[in-house]
Amino acid sequence: MNFFRSKKLFIILVGFIVLVVLIGYSLNNRGHLNFAEKIVSDAVGWVQNVAQAPVTFVTDIASNISDFKTTYEENQVLREQLSQQKSIAYELQSLEEENEELRSMIDMTETARDYEPIYATVIARSPEQWVNQVTINRGENDGVQENMVVRTAEGMIGKVLHTSRGTSTVQLLTGFDEFNRVSATILRENDSDIFGMIEGFDEETEMLLFRIIEESDSDIEEGDTVYSSELGGEFPAGITIGEVNEVVADQYGLTRIAMIEPAADLFDIRNVIVVNRSIEQPEEIQEEEGDDES
Amino acid sequence: MTRRVIFPLILFIVMVLSGVALELLPHQLLMGTYMIVPHWLFVMLIYIAIFYDRNDTYYAVLYALIFGLLFDIVYTGILGVYMFSYGLVIYIVRGLKKMLQGNFYVLLILSAFGIALADISIYTTFTVIGLADMPIEVYLLNRLVPTILLNLLFLVLIYPLIIKPMRKWGRELT
Repeated sequence: MNFFRSKKLFIILVGFIVLVVLIGYSLNNRGHLNFAEKIVSDAVGWVQNVAQAPVTFVTDIASNISDFKTTYEENQVLREQLSQQKSIAYELQSLEEENEELRSMIDMTETARDYEPIYATVIARSPEQWVNQVTINRGENDGVQENMVVRTAEGMIGKVLHTSRGTSTVQLLTGFDEFNRVSATILRENDSDIFGMIEGFDEETEMLLFRIIEESDSDIEEGDTVYSSELGGEFPAGITIGEVNEVVADQYGLTRIAMIEPAADLFDIRNVIVVNRSIEQPEEIQEEEGDDES
Repeated sequence: MTRRVIFPLILFIVMVLSGVALELLPHQLLMGTYMIVPHWLFVMLIYIAIFYDRNDTYYAVLYALIFGLLFDIVYTGILGVYMFSYGLVIYIVRGLKKMLQGNFYVLLILSAFGIALADISIYTTFTVIGLADMPIEVYLLNRLVPTILLNLLFLVLIYPLIIKPMRKWGRELT
């Protein structure tokens, strides 16, 4: 009884129990925010939107100055690249036309490759760097839904974790683990594509871990580009993730892991595109069917 | 009456600003081995605990709990971690403050101690959950030390701005 007379200890103990309950609650409910959380996220997001403008202004000036130094060299390189791009663009156009023609022949209008972009700006980054989240200024009202892919012009950066009405939280690729992963593929000719999962990030080398599922992986090479795959059921296909840098055996020696250098800069993110997969998602169909039966 | 509003307002703004704080740091720091967490909210709470709270008031602890929870909702999605760490450590700092005088050096020492304790508490919780996977010696060198140093820098930078109004409000409380 003497124990409970100590009021301070009692309060700390109660606080500890509350902590455990809250953590348990939020770990079970990953993906869905409750009503109060949404209101708070919206309110803070609104202020963040306002606060972000002057901060961006200052950081932009700083980066502009450093950009000026490299402008000339960059110009030279870009000019060379441009001449190559012209021939590629022509090729692409003819291929696209051919593709469309062929597709209309078999009455196929939508593919897993099509998507509708939602443009957004990053308004905050989680100060807690173990969490690897950024907040963007588009939410449910703009059509953002959970599990949509988020990309920059260079490539994939993550997926939408939570949404509120006016903001959403994006889980960056650097924070992916066994529970948050993306199916990915390396394209090969004659149907021998390599499949696998992006399921982690190595802090030391700053590389993504690409676990290769298929055992037809003997020809994986450095410099191969890894794309998102439609097989995960959530994401559109063909979004660049990164380049293979090294292939190693995993800790048990059973599968192989390719170290992927991310195509997008995962630390300096400003403008992003939320990818709304236009083709219907198989899960939704199943849910609807389930509702009908019940 | 105004101070009822002004502290929550300041704390809210500091919380929002810590979301863009990492943008202000050079990106080489973020990409490198060091992990720096802006505990600006916590620094403000320490100011309140040392210069504003009296022996019978618990404003700093109350604010620590409220804004810690808000921080959890907005930035980590795992409720309770910052709320509990900030609340508990501010409570300890508040207890220690009774034995010491409220001057600059005491503030510096108590803050360094408080930030260390709060961050270790956060590290422990995240490790238990399985979110953080970092050996303790790597954590101490790459995260704890730079985090303490940079937050103390923030504390020293805002000291001239904040100390006069803070003392004034503290006297009004009596």
